[in-house]
Amino acid sequence: MFSLSRLSMSIRGQRTLSLFSSQTGPSNWSKVVSDAEKIVGYPTSFMSLRCLLSDELSNVAMLVRKLVGTQHPLLNTARGFVYDSKNNLQMRGLIVLLLSKAAGASHAAYDLLPQDMVSGIYPSQRNLAEITELIHTAFLVHRGIVNLKEWTVSDGPMKDMEFGNKMAVLSGDFLLANACTGLAQLNDTKVVEMISGAIGDLVQGIYYENSYNAEDGLSDGTDVASWEEQTFLSHGSLLANSCQAAMQLAKHNKEAQRLAYLYGKHLSLGHKLNSDLQPFVKSGLGELTPFSLSAAPVVFHRQIVGTERWHQQIQHAKTLRNQLDHTKLLAAVKSGKGVSSAVDLCCYHSNKALEAIQAFPSSEARSALENIASAVTKF
Amino acid sequence: MFLTNARSVISGSAYVQQRSRSRCVHLVKMAGSWWRVCGRWSTSCTSTNVSDTLRCFSGMSTGASGSGLSRASWSSGPGNERMPLLSAQTHSTALHLNPLIIRQNSRFLYPTLSCFCRATHSDVKLKDPFMLAQKDLKCLYDDIKKEMFVSKQELKHLCDYYFDGKGKAIRPIIVILMARALNIHSNQAGDLLPGQRAIAMISEMIHTASLVHDDVIDGSDERRGKRSINDVWGERKAILAGDFILSASTMVLARIGNSTVIKLLSQVIEDLVRGEFMQLGSKENQNERFKHYLEKTFKKTASLIAHSCKAVSLLVNSDPDVHEIAYQYGKNVGIAFQLVDDVLDFTSGANQLGKPAAADLKLGLATGPVLFACEQFPELHAMIMRRFSSKGDVDRAWEFVLQSDGVQQTTFLARRYCDEAIRHISLLRPSPERDALIRLTEIVLSRDK
Repeated sequence: MFSLSRLSMSIRGQRTLSLFSSQTGPSNWSKVVSDAEKIVGYPTSFMSLRCLLSDELSNVAMLVRKLVGTQHPLLNTARGFVYDSKNNLQMRGLIVLLLSKAAGASHAAYDLLPQDMVSGIYPSQRNLAEITELIHTAFLVHRGIVNLKEWTVSDGPMKDMEFGNKMAVLSGDFLLANACTGLAQLNDTKVVEMISGAIGDLVQGIYYENSYNAEDGLSDGTDVASWEEQTFLSHGSLLANSCQAAMQLAKHNKEAQRLAYLYGKHLSLGHKLNSDLQPFVKSGLGELTPFSLSAAPVVFHRQIVGTERWHQQIQHAKTLRNQLDHTKLLAAVKSGKGVSSAVDLCCYHSNKALEAIQAFPSSEARSALENIASAVTKF
Repeated sequence: MFLTNARSVISGSAYVQQRSRSRCVHLVKMAGSWWRVCGRWSTSCTSTNVSDTLRCFSGMSTGASGSGLSRASWSSGPGNERMPLLSAQTHSTALHLNPLIIRQNSRFLYPTLSCFCRATHSDVKLKDPFMLAQKDLKCLYDDIKKEMFVSKQELKHLCDYYFDGKGKAIRPIIVILMARALNIHSNQAGDLLPGQRAIAMISEMIHTASLVHDDVIDGSDERRGKRSINDVWGERKAILAGDFILSASTMVLARIGNSTVIKLLSQVIEDLVRGEFMQLGSKENQNERFKHYLEKTFKKTASLIAHSCKAVSLLVNSDPDVHEIAYQYGKNVGIAFQLVDDVLDFTSGANQLGKPAAADLKLGLATGPVLFACEQFPELHAMIMRRFSSKGDVDRAWEFVLQSDGVQQTTFLARRYCDEAIRHISLLRPSPERDALIRLTEIVLSRDK
């Protein structure tokens, strides 16, 4: 317990630092999100707090200190548990809560009483929001498992990596197990089915998310259609299904469920496009933000210029030591239509999300959802 | 820390399970002090015969059912077929039994010996449980593979990797036999219910998912005689494959459409993780350590079997006493199974178990045989605390264990858990499947791989 609070103390130090120094991210995104948080009352139902304060995770927090100074990814993920300005750790939960509130009280169910609602949200919906966050966090942790055979001694001691992996497996499993029990307590087998399906999608998405990112950039890439499919699995399915499940919990009809699903889906895709676009739309002369070769603008660019031309550009961007010069590659992508196509697609998804939410009655919560969907297209 | 933990598990778990869980913890406590007694015996006794022990126990066990189960016995037929369980050359732990100590402890571990001697289904030969469940098991692995919808080839291959029919499938076998025995008990004609079959699949899926993750945690490169997933495809993909198998199993679970069943099996998933966490720590105090070991054993192995058995019961019967029979059978067989597994780590040849010998010691884990041996060889204490990490620890600990009667003591304890399982399952109406479940306890005890 003690160690955990110390961990968070040191991270809070970093947080203030990043608040003043960083200009990353869409400027009004944070404002949109923090405004929205006020609408849903309190953001969480304390499930994740219970997780964080459990013996198991405080044990992990204590042990993870051993990893300080190593390069195991778990360390960064653990920092993110406490505060993460870039990924908006609680964003998914917030959307679920806002949608629950926007959809309002149930008319179909006798066992759901309006007086049980807090700030217009049923307790089960709050639990669901929390479960969504738990699952998302669990996979942030499992994403960071290191393949030991790819690790060379020059990267650091093998023992640290083994230990880091062990901690990452255990803490990710712990979060997932808590999500499972939380899910069971919702007493709705349909919801369990939706969220299990989403977990399956998420795993498939993560499994393949880096397969197009081979360092030479020459592996047979993906086209935009399969990029969208892939991104839906890794970034959209969980939110889409959670949004639908929130409607199911309040016994809203199929149509409301469908619209909620669409909002979650399109918002996630728009959000991912926005973050993929960041390195390409920033005009600052500062240092280059690293980007992946499976980022949307690159994928568009490849498809537009064709495989042959793309191979030439990759060769051109290679340094003497066969490393990719990302600055050169960035310039190549920027010179083409890849970036503007990705922006167009981002706007398309933003509009689709806005469209889906229009069927809900006008309210403060709906406006917040509209603001969030619009903020996705601001760069 | 883990004590509070246990407490929070009890208070925080689903209300349905509170009863059975608190009893489990109780049993674990009892076994903890029982072990102390065992240790005391072991220093003094040399030989005795088991029937003395039995007589002594049955003398003490009057009215010790203690479980609130109805004592109505379904056993038919004359009581002439003795359970062969205790007839063999059991280790002689029972010569100097102090009746006071036994009274205190026997209530939970071995009440009513009359149960052991009770007749089993009269004319029917005890069926081979594996044969009896074969029909239902035949397509099990294929059905499991069908439940894992993956579009991409490689991930699909990883997920299917261990569902190759080479495993013992002990969990589905127990679940299927239990389901059939319960169906007969509850006058349900005909075949397995679809939900019961689904639970058999889920039990194997959850088990496999946890194996895949355990292999990464333990750094094992071999499993069931072939390379482990992490060895072939790397740790990252192995973890994701495990996660996928788990998500597919909860999908099957959700489709059964019963919220209580979902709660039971999600509790299993939580127990598995908590059990894995418990393996990280060791206890300074020896009694604490044994209790910790049994609790870990329950969570890592028995919980899955116990809750699956209870789940198939829920689907056919509404009597909580019957659910309790199913749960108790699963729990006791599960613990016995793991105890035997821990013994085999010391006694089995390197290849039989599909993993290297002394694997647990090499992982720093002190299992039953070591904990018993530590009574006779206090030198082990320091090694346990440093998790056999110093040079030569593993070899010396191995020697100590073989010199001690730790293996026999652990086997004896496993036998006790099997007896308890038999006592519970005998309360069901006789059926070939019920008798197969009784017979299965013998197989659990006598297996060498």
